[in-house]
Amino acid sequence: MRIAVCAPQVPFVRGGAEIVSERLVDELRQREHELELVTLPFKWYPGERVLTQAFLWRLLDLEEADGAPIDLVIATKFPSYVVRHPNKIVWLLHQFRQAYELDGTELGQFDESPEGRALRRSVHRLDKLALGEARKLFATSANVADRLERSTGLEAEVLPHPPQELPYRCDEYGDFILSVGRIDRAKRVELLIDALDADASLRCVVAGDGPERDRLEQLARERGLNGRATFAGRVSKQELADLYARCLAVYYAPVDEDFGMVPYEAFLAEKPVVTTTDAGGPLEVVGDRKTGLVCEPTATAVAQAFVWLRDHPNQTREWGRAGQRAAEQLTWDAAIDRLLA
Amino acid sequence: MRVAYYSPQPPERSGIADYSALLLPALAERIDVDVVRRRSRRRRRADVSLYHIGNDPEAHGWIVEALRRRPGIVVLHDFVLHHLVAGMTLGRGDGGGYLDAMQREAGPVGRMLAHGVIDELLPPLWEDRANDYPLAGEVLASSSGLIVHSRYVERLVRDSGYRGPVWRIPHPAWPPPAEIAPAGLPEGRTIIGCYGHLNPAKRLPQLLEAYALLRRRVPEALLLLVGSLSPGLELDPVYDRLGLRAGEDVIRLDYVDEARLWALLSACEVCVNLRYPTMGETSGIVVRALSLGRPLVASDVGWFAELPDEAAVKVPVGEGEVPAIADALELLVRDHELRTRMADAARSLAQGEHRLDRVAEAYVAALEEAAGGAVVRAAVLGEVARAAEETGLSANGDALSDVAERLREVGPGR
Repeated sequence: MRIAVCAPQVPFVRGGAEIVSERLVDELRQREHELELVTLPFKWYPGERVLTQAFLWRLLDLEEADGAPIDLVIATKFPSYVVRHPNKIVWLLHQFRQAYELDGTELGQFDESPEGRALRRSVHRLDKLALGEARKLFATSANVADRLERSTGLEAEVLPHPPQELPYRCDEYGDFILSVGRIDRAKRVELLIDALDADASLRCVVAGDGPERDRLEQLARERGLNGRATFAGRVSKQELADLYARCLAVYYAPVDEDFGMVPYEAFLAEKPVVTTTDAGGPLEVVGDRKTGLVCEPTATAVAQAFVWLRDHPNQTREWGRAGQRAAEQLTWDAAIDRLLA
Repeated sequence: MRVAYYSPQPPERSGIADYSALLLPALAERIDVDVVRRRSRRRRRADVSLYHIGNDPEAHGWIVEALRRRPGIVVLHDFVLHHLVAGMTLGRGDGGGYLDAMQREAGPVGRMLAHGVIDELLPPLWEDRANDYPLAGEVLASSSGLIVHSRYVERLVRDSGYRGPVWRIPHPAWPPPAEIAPAGLPEGRTIIGCYGHLNPAKRLPQLLEAYALLRRRVPEALLLLVGSLSPGLELDPVYDRLGLRAGEDVIRLDYVDEARLWALLSACEVCVNLRYPTMGETSGIVVRALSLGRPLVASDVGWFAELPDEAAVKVPVGEGEVPAIADALELLVRDHELRTRMADAARSLAQGEHRLDRVAEAYVAALEEAAGGAVVRAAVLGEVARAAEETGLSANGDALSDVAERLREVGPGR
């Protein structure tokens, strides 16, 4: 089959969504399909730019290329799923969250002016149209599927995406907490810094980059955490695997996250995960006292959770291994079978 | 967001007043609503105005006048507005206004027909030809967007050439009262209820004829007619012709208050709501019956035809109508399991797409789109137009028609 995988791209930014799209392309190619990753730069501000960018996707003609038909389009996130195709499948990583559950929060984008409200509603209506056209709708987590159902009335099958490929291993349950991912407000790395501030015996390594990094580094200095909070920046796959292999456990507590690959990556390195009761998608993955700890989103609770893991090495190992067994069930073979069924 | 809200309000005896009484508190929880009263002269500062318009000139004339002064979103409760326009023109001694309205609707022929009506050479068109001349043009022309309740009306407004935004929002459902008083109707009878203002469009002769057929097969049946009677509509001669005894076979009650209405609705086994011709209206009675889980028999026209088969048996209008009504009533009266299934479907419809908070959310979405939509459209279209011009796409070229269609789909082009 000739398949176009459609995904937006924010220039110079790389995160989980980009990893999933690229991996999907690779995996489909390995199964003898002819693949192309179709992408357009995405800029969502000022407000009306959201619609003009969606409009660009709408203008694309992906029914054929170079005189031969494109049999299938698989779109992943807003606004790529606005693309038209008679055989469109959407594997929804997330909608434009600023128009939904993040609206009215500090992470929202649209203000209370009539124009801001109208723009937000335009995104809702466009989602109903574009997602309603899809021949099949999958959501990467129950959290994403629930949001979709609440916002559009459309139902999606839950299909989690497998974590990225790394040379996962477990060398030890070391003396630091690992945080992995883009450093922005939604990922809530600040809560981990606060936890270190609350308990002077904790150390962490923050792997990743993002708009909040400078501020958080400054915050860590102001709190006197020098030496206990290390900002490693963007790391190579090998370095990331090493960090997973050596850490005590992994911190992953974004605000109402869609899904998040990090917990499954941690599990593949036999490491338990600490998350919070308001983290959204990760709560489908991290079982409290089964594969990690779920605590209140406060610095004290997060600090206590890591101290508990450090003080109970047998449970830490046991929960990490339980996570590993769960993560190993998530394979590309199974995902692609369902996508193309 | 601040909305200036124009609607009849209780204690006016109007379905739309009841509708607003239900909707307003739910809207006010979500947005700033300024309810405009009749004869109010205060200039409203609002982001958008919302006008509830139906076919009754007494209830809605002042709202149309406000719409003329300041265009806004119209909740089109009826598509056929001939009676409203006639009342606002001929009813106020403005024959010229009626002539103009008919000419706008149907050209010179329309004007000639209007002359015929004014000169009493023709019977009033609003009595039996209103559907041919709906006279919705002026209201539609002043509307920056429309809220409708059915696909039927949405199609009619589009067919009439309306190009503005249309939001289809279901009629909100009343939650049944926590306590419903006994109806005090005869015991041991199977009650078939017909509720609401009794006018010729409610098909009473056909209903009574069908009921007479049913009575021969189901002697314990009792027909309950609740609502004020249209002037000139005589039921006694029909009773006599069909051998029905008033008070024994048919009980008729005049207008009742809300609490009594719920009691009487609750007492029936089957609710009948026939309609023809339809002005494009919904029925608050039908929505209340859905909330209570009462199986329905309705005419297969307009909004009524869109009720799901699981909740309503729909009967044709015209040929075969009377036996079809009788058969539907008999089926429902005899089949307890079917009634139970339909009751469940009715309740789930009322608690689903007609649920008040869902309807209020849909209103807010429409109002927010309407209030800021023009600025958003201008910004997006401006950017696209600049790109088109710089690319050399001419305004008259075919390439731009595809661009326009895609823009319409994305939103700002509409």
